[in-house]
Amino acid sequence: MSSVVDPFNKFSYMESGSQRQHFSPYADNGGSVVAIAGEDYAIIAADTRLSSGFSIYTREQSKLFQLSEKTILGCSGCWCDTLTLTRVLDARMQMYYHEHQKLMETPAVAQMLSTMLYYKRFFPYYVSNILAGLDGEGKGCVYSYDPIGHCEKSYFRAGGSAGALLQPLLDNQIGFHNMEKVTVAPVPVEKALAILKDGFISAAERDIYTGDSILIKIITKDGIKDESFQLRKD
Amino acid sequence: MFLTRSEYDRGVNTFSPEGRLFQVEYAIEAIKLGSTAIGICTSEGVVLAVEKRITSPLMEPTTIEKIVEVDKHIGCAVSGLMADSRTMLDRARVECQNHWFVYNERMAVESVAQAVSNLAIQFGDSDDDGGAMSRPFGVAILFAGCDEKGPQLFHMDPSGTFVQFEAKAIGSGSEGAQQSLQEMYHKSMTLKEALTTALTILKQVMEEKLSSTNVEVMTMTPEKMFHMFSREEVEEILGTLAPISKEDSLAGGVSTAREGVSA
Repeated sequence: MSSVVDPFNKFSYMESGSQRQHFSPYADNGGSVVAIAGEDYAIIAADTRLSSGFSIYTREQSKLFQLSEKTILGCSGCWCDTLTLTRVLDARMQMYYHEHQKLMETPAVAQMLSTMLYYKRFFPYYVSNILAGLDGEGKGCVYSYDPIGHCEKSYFRAGGSAGALLQPLLDNQIGFHNMEKVTVAPVPVEKALAILKDGFISAAERDIYTGDSILIKIITKDGIKDESFQLRKD
Repeated sequence: MFLTRSEYDRGVNTFSPEGRLFQVEYAIEAIKLGSTAIGICTSEGVVLAVEKRITSPLMEPTTIEKIVEVDKHIGCAVSGLMADSRTMLDRARVECQNHWFVYNERMAVESVAQAVSNLAIQFGDSDDDGGAMSRPFGVAILFAGCDEKGPQLFHMDPSGTFVQFEAKAIGSGSEGAQQSLQEMYHKSMTLKEALTTALTILKQVMEEKLSSTNVEVMTMTPEKMFHMFSREEVEEILGTLAPISKEDSLAGGVSTAREGVSA
């Protein structure tokens, strides 16, 4: 189509084949997070692949952020938003410490994260958050969020790019959903770890944004123990 | 005395050459015209007792509110200019609710005192969003609360200074009452003992005869939290008080508040 000069057409300056450029402020850098809480422990794990489309930025990026001795946050989604969110979170926790002369408990961090996310309701942090830790009584707890701050407390949760693949496994193996003739009981740490690793191995088979390895952090009253586990790298 | 003061007691933000802020000192003096309030902290809970000055028989005594609930776990007794106290208590309530909203937990008593203190020292400030208070607040506050550290009592004066106390008296009868508290307070006091102690002392320092209409009583316990005593409950305790002899009475030593100002 040749451009016809039409002095009465107000769009005549537009050449054919021209395109409007849009600013896209978000990126999806993938990654998956799983958290499981028991009576006296909480485990949180995330894969270490950081990618964009078909390319991998790095195979060894931790997506777990230790906020205190008893609280860890797992983030996946837009990596730049994750960086900003966790920095603001750290600053807010430091301010809380100085204002109230005490460390923030996990439920307080959970509520603060929810309000922080909602305060960016119309330009959200594009991050899938899962918070794990021990509460005031030393019991394990897991909080999961949507990008605009909806918060739900639970005992097990999967999030991120392979969240939809991992969650049904947890529902069945940890929550004992859709099972007959089973005694529903809290899962011991060893079993939780085994299910978690199996889940990630399976997720890495199907989700290209999950793989390379996983970092696991086990929170107990005695401190935080680190573990890592290799996944397929293709 | 007035010669040295005259130059430096006008501006609220001007130090005198001796390093004093006269307006703040005057504000602290203003508290001594207010009605007496007593707070006692025990391991079981905190007691607040306040006298209400009924300046006219036509006055409706229930409309004088000197003990208020700030949150379920914090109650305050005030003495001084009641109008000023409204602003400060409003700030205390806002801070408590904001803390609950953001952190989903009860605000610590000390943190509430700190937040109100931040308001108290803002006098004389003026910036783009308008001036704050043009003079210091003429109120002293007793904060009684229960948090994770247990029952606590804090006192704050118009300078914004706040200190934790086991027992504290403010207002016109505070000097005598504080003396009596020092004699009568002991760490193993029960809540019941604290109640009778507070009212006994209040009875001694008050000019009017103590009755269920001219006193307000509150307890703050971990079980019941903020509990304001009903008229009947106050009468019940008043009945148990030992009658005091003339020489025990400490009233009359301090002059009454200015007429017209509800102090």
